[in-house]
Amino acid sequence: MSIMQYNGGSVIAMKGKECVAIASDLRLGNQALTISCNHEKIFPVSDRVYYGLAGLATDVDTMRQRLRYRVNMYTIKEEREIEPETFARLTSSALYEHRFGPMFVEPVIAGLSKTPSGGVEPFIAAADLIGCLNFAKDFVVAGTASDKLYGVAEGLWEPDLEADDLFETISQTLLNAVDRDAYSGWGAIVHVITKDKVITRKLRGRMD
Amino acid sequence: MFLTRSEYDRGVNTFSPEGRLFQVEYAIEAIKLGSTAVGVKTYEGVVLGVEKRVQSPLLESSSIEKIMEIDRHLGCAMSGLTADARTIVDHARTTSQNHEFTYNENIKVESVTQAVCDLALRFGESVHDEDAMMSRPFGVALLIAGIDENGPQLFHTDPSGTFMRYEAKAIGSGSEAAQAELQDRWKKDMSLNDAQVLAVRILKQVMEEKLDQHNVQLAQVTKAGGFEILNEAALQEVIQRM
Amino acid sequence: MDGKTAPQMRHFNPYSDNGGTILAIAGQDFAVIAGDTRQTVGYEIQTRYAPKVFRLNDKAVLAVNGFAADGNMFVKKVKQKLEMYRHAHAKDMPLRAIARLIQTMLYAQRFFPYYVYNILGGIEEDGSGAVYSFDPVGSYERESCRAAGAAQSLVQPFLDNQIYFKNQQPIPGGPPHPVHLPLSRVIALVTDSFTSATERHIEVGDELEMFIVLSRSHPQQSLDPRLNATEVSTTASGEKVFVIRRPLKRD
Repeated sequence: MSIMQYNGGSVIAMKGKECVAIASDLRLGNQALTISCNHEKIFPVSDRVYYGLAGLATDVDTMRQRLRYRVNMYTIKEEREIEPETFARLTSSALYEHRFGPMFVEPVIAGLSKTPSGGVEPFIAAADLIGCLNFAKDFVVAGTASDKLYGVAEGLWEPDLEADDLFETISQTLLNAVDRDAYSGWGAIVHVITKDKVITRKLRGRMD
Repeated sequence: MFLTRSEYDRGVNTFSPEGRLFQVEYAIEAIKLGSTAVGVKTYEGVVLGVEKRVQSPLLESSSIEKIMEIDRHLGCAMSGLTADARTIVDHARTTSQNHEFTYNENIKVESVTQAVCDLALRFGESVHDEDAMMSRPFGVALLIAGIDENGPQLFHTDPSGTFMRYEAKAIGSGSEAAQAELQDRWKKDMSLNDAQVLAVRILKQVMEEKLDQHNVQLAQVTKAGGFEILNEAALQEVIQRM
Repeated sequence: MDGKTAPQMRHFNPYSDNGGTILAIAGQDFAVIAGDTRQTVGYEIQTRYAPKVFRLNDKAVLAVNGFAADGNMFVKKVKQKLEMYRHAHAKDMPLRAIARLIQTMLYAQRFFPYYVYNILGGIEEDGSGAVYSFDPVGSYERESCRAAGAAQSLVQPFLDNQIYFKNQQPIPGGPPHPVHLPLSRVIALVTDSFTSATERHIEVGDELEMFIVLSRSHPQQSLDPRLNATEVSTTASGEKVFVIRRPLKRD
């Protein structure tokens, strides 16, 4: 069994119309044994950038601290909030630094970029464990249920969803995917990022 | 028939010049010595009735078994060398169970009858390394009753491996008289109760002893109840209705 | 060298995985059985048209997925047994009997299995649509929908959501979720499942072959001409079987 499956867990992000959503399950396991069902894997960078880390829990923790350090350094030096794409590049280089002894995490990034005209544009990205970025125009997934997430998302997602529809789409995708994955599930958390607020909801899926 | 008797009646797999297999014909004769058995088909189900010859007052008549269950939806009555019927019924039961195991459905009445008849002609001398077969034809005839998707059915099989479907059929020593009676009395729309009475009445006519609940046995196959042998109380009730 | 050669173990693997995906959904009085037609070995496409779905008789369609050689041989043997049954019992084998037969045949190879996932779809004797799914050694179950093969993990959770309405609450005070979906909806879901699987799985694609079995109790005995279906049933009085072929992406 791969070390990526050791603790289990899955993350997904989707684009909507002037909004993005990012969601994950809440399980922390030790192989088949469930340790916790309140283990969050999605962290805020700012009010409009969130990222999730799927993979080995200890590396998720470490990576989170490393990224916090780097984002803080960036904010101090640049004296401005980091843009989602910049954060994605930063994450990518942080991961690539460990090219031959990688952190066992796959990041999923969701945020709203500022456009020159003063509006916002949805942004999502994902990377593999050595930082190869994937800027998708629809959705990105990571974790033990990634194949299931791809399948359901491919069937449910459509372009230009409003925030509430996007919430429903990402929730249904995640819940139905993790229900077919033994290593993910036990509840979920969803963040929908819109230009004026972030809506966070915890979902109770089937707890088995 | 016995006048044309010749050396050709010895080998079980030798035709006579007239094209007859004497041993098979003799086997069919053996049935005419057996106790009478009747089968009556109705739209509700099939009734089987047999005569039990209680040769001694010391014989426990309940130990005479001439009607046997093949499966929940199949039963048979026999006449002739009833010991041979055990082999046949065993084969029929195995076939039926195998069918249920393999196909998750009840075997058809005709199919189980066919299976029984396939066995009937496996007599004769075995060929070199082949397993020894049976040395002689079966000396028993069966009335196979059952219900399947084609409704209630009654089949008659004899030692030649021939089988035919009947509305009503009698076999055994009293079969000629019984069959004639069935031909007169059988009606297409008769109920199962009528058929029970008819079976017992005919047995009564052809039996030497006085009929009572100890020297006859009745069974039926219905959609609801499947195969069931009537207990003494039910049998007595039928006799009283007669 | 000292002239002595150490014994070397050679290992022959009699199985391979030929990719592809199959899917079946049962309706109230119909069944849809579908599969893509791409056949692969590793990253190679061996052919873009290798059927995995077969009409057994006018009420049963079998889809086989896994090792193609085993699959083809298995279908051949099932068809042979069906023909023998027809001679022995003077009728077409009913669906549940075929399901049990398949179990028996698969389990007979318990220690050298057919490397095949089977999905059987069709019409039961009571006229209802049915789907039976099997593992390679014969464990089976009647269900209302099942996906198998390379993209099973992509398609099955989508079906859970769209067919079984998993994780969806019915509108309070509104109607409950339907138990069976109409044929048009099922055809749309099957098509969407395969376009999704094609999009995300390299072993799925080229063409979609969809069999539709209509019970005699189905209100329409023909299909919408826009579906461009070909009838393949053999009798006018029995169940109707149709095939729909649709292109899938070839990349």
